[in-house]
Amino acid sequence: MPLSEKDFPVEERRLGNGLQIRLLPDRSLPVCTLYSFFRVGSRNERPGITGISHLFEHMMFNGSKKYGPKEFDRRLEAAGGTSNAYTSNDHTAYYEDFASEALPLVLDLEADRMASLLIDDASLDRERDVVKEERRFRTDNDIDGMLDEALGALAFLAHPYRWPVIGWMSDIEAITREECERYFRTYYAPNNCTLVLVGDFETAAALREIERLYGGISAGDGLPKIATGEPPQKGERRAVIRYPSQAPAMLAGFRGPSGREPDSLVLDLIEAALSAGEGARLKRALVYEQELCVDAHVYFAWRMDPGLFEISLKLNPGVDPDRAEGALWAELARVSDEVMSERELDRAKNLVRSQLLRSLSTTNGRAHTVGQMEVMLGTWRAMLDLPDRYATIAAADVQRVARKTFPPHRRNVVTLIPGEVEA
Amino acid sequence: MIAHDVELPPLQIEKLPSGLTLLAVQKRGLPLFHVRLSLPAGACEDPRGKAGLAHFTLELLRRGTRRRPAQDVDEMIESMGAQLFTDVSMEEGALALTVPAELSGRALDALLEVALEPAFEETEVAAARRRTIAALHSDLDEPSNVAGRAVVSLGYGPGHPYGHPPQGFRRDVDTFQREDALSFHATRCQQQGALLAAVGQPTPQELIELLKRKLAQWESSWPGRSQRSALQFTALPPSLATRAVVIHKPDATQAQVRIVAPGLPRSTPRYAEAVVANTALGGGFTSLLVDAIRVDRGLSYSVSTRLHMNRRAGLSVFSSFTKNETLRELVDVALEKMREYANSGPTQEALEKARRYLAGLFPLGLESHEALAEQIADALLDGLGLEHLKSYRSRVLAVTAEQAREMAAELSPARDGALLIVVGESEPARRELSGLCPMEVRQLEEFA
Repeated sequence: MPLSEKDFPVEERRLGNGLQIRLLPDRSLPVCTLYSFFRVGSRNERPGITGISHLFEHMMFNGSKKYGPKEFDRRLEAAGGTSNAYTSNDHTAYYEDFASEALPLVLDLEADRMASLLIDDASLDRERDVVKEERRFRTDNDIDGMLDEALGALAFLAHPYRWPVIGWMSDIEAITREECERYFRTYYAPNNCTLVLVGDFETAAALREIERLYGGISAGDGLPKIATGEPPQKGERRAVIRYPSQAPAMLAGFRGPSGREPDSLVLDLIEAALSAGEGARLKRALVYEQELCVDAHVYFAWRMDPGLFEISLKLNPGVDPDRAEGALWAELARVSDEVMSERELDRAKNLVRSQLLRSLSTTNGRAHTVGQMEVMLGTWRAMLDLPDRYATIAAADVQRVARKTFPPHRRNVVTLIPGEVEA
Repeated sequence: MIAHDVELPPLQIEKLPSGLTLLAVQKRGLPLFHVRLSLPAGACEDPRGKAGLAHFTLELLRRGTRRRPAQDVDEMIESMGAQLFTDVSMEEGALALTVPAELSGRALDALLEVALEPAFEETEVAAARRRTIAALHSDLDEPSNVAGRAVVSLGYGPGHPYGHPPQGFRRDVDTFQREDALSFHATRCQQQGALLAAVGQPTPQELIELLKRKLAQWESSWPGRSQRSALQFTALPPSLATRAVVIHKPDATQAQVRIVAPGLPRSTPRYAEAVVANTALGGGFTSLLVDAIRVDRGLSYSVSTRLHMNRRAGLSVFSSFTKNETLRELVDVALEKMREYANSGPTQEALEKARRYLAGLFPLGLESHEALAEQIADALLDGLGLEHLKSYRSRVLAVTAEQAREMAAELSPARDGALLIVVGESEPARRELSGLCPMEVRQLEEFA
């Protein structure tokens, strides 16, 4: 059953400077969420400035012409709101959740930093230190982060997906103010942004305010070309990390389709069949039956360019990684070799559909989904017929996509072995 | 308007003669149905020497019932597109499911079967014991996790009902037998003190009728009535001088820092004053500590203070992390700022900001089906009533400077006698903290 457009009366506009606007009023609670999606992420970087998209995300909170340093969040919180942001491989998203009466202020804050962000050396250096701490937290002292970083560098040779979103430490240290300013001028123009407002507001008034505040910001020039090429993978690739951990771990990745290709929906279902819920194949086999892992899960996110289908195994202490790996390959081979039963396929479809519905159950969730659909699939309407598109996927599709994605020569495997690096 | 109190959606509460409370909340919009069963089976109920038994038992519920084996339990739940949520807090054990609206009856049956008719097969108990021990071992790889375990273990101290993490300790889990799970289930899975909540599109009356209809079918499956002895909640032991515990994590290039002091229970009549004072100190992105540590000095990515408010006691906790080389600087700044704050309280601007921040964002915490059920259920089970939620905004907005100042002094994590916990490489930590306060180094494994 598709989602109904009448339940999602999204108002669509585009300003003369190219700013894309999506408004979804909902008066059930006195709150709003505003998302600003910029089509820039680590995919738009180059060696030497890896991590600049993420560092820049931090810099967006450090003051602009009208609202100086520390003012953005101070004003917002004083009006009953909060903000945050994230950077991915493909885009950077900023959001504010707030009491609805703060809408004029929130729009003014966002428009002001798009129009006139201030970047000075002192704030850049402080934010650089903060980001280095974030990197130490998420990557250098975190097993999942270490594995993820190594997997990207292993699976991609030419594409920007090969470096981590947070960037290499040496690049974070070296990024200059001039590079940040160039980055801002290039990617933070209104014609590279989708604004999504959801919640308790009056549509015509909100549109007038957006037009007044954003209408005068100049459009940017065209975006630089991205190096999206990647040679075909002709053999298995492996890497080993040694780290004084309690237990081994493993992250495997297979290059897959881009988010816009229909096969990505099939991989969503394979992800659910393998790892959503305790009855999922990998959990059942590796965690419960063979007792090889503390946890086994799959991570497949739509990306602009062909991305990665990742499988993470957190092994029980003392388990031989080769044994766990063998069990994993056996499970993947089952997906390729055997036709999935209708019952199991329905289970996967129901889990994916429920996940979509739950993501729409909050103001922030609706705003994020609308924006994500726009930047990833080109239209928010894609979310309406997603349930129907999943419903039409057949067991033969699952087998076809599994055979295409999981052959041994496409494996990329990073194994973490407990122990010190030998000097 | 931010000044208005939040109106809860249509709801109905009914207490049955058995002691079970029913809660029905109507939520229009998306065709979803949520059910949550809260049981008086929290970690504080773990018997002495059996830390983690509540968590272990709750996790075992899904590993087979008297009607079907574990794999079929998973199939029963997940074929509906749902995943069983289990959570053990200090106070309660909760099971919850969210399903498409048309599956409400099936969801209730599934939840009640799992909660009331577990098989606790010997082989499943043994396997769960091995899994839990492996997970506790593996959790030591996450420094923030170790810090969290140390906060409750050391903050409340041994012997206190809250003085262990809900997941327990390996040495205790290693002793768990089938009889332990059976006994815990029989005595804690009781209607007295439990709450069954449903959130969905029907009217509250219709939801209550659905709950009653289903409960009638499962009436005979509840364990027989059982009397539990009352828990002993002694006051937290006074400590006169600040001390430090460094938990050695080999090869860590960053130190996790916690500063812990006794706090307040959730039932405190000064709840609003406490959350406002805490928010101005270390909540949100513009608190005093975020400004001093992250924005002004770039010492950390994350800085916060949090009130761990349980039903009968609480802790006041500062959390952050920084590279090994700046550990002392971070601790010094944190202690200095928190001591200043304890003396002066928030500025008028900071007070006003904290009040409006909390009031403005409050409705977001009641938005999803899951949040509505959890928030209302907790307010009822903690004896705070709906008024706790309904009047939250006006109570927060009414906090005065004087009240906030008093609370700042009372709740400061930097009081004399506070406990400093550092998880990181011990040698650099010892050097950095040298001369600050008495210090002991503990091994990671002690916290598994």
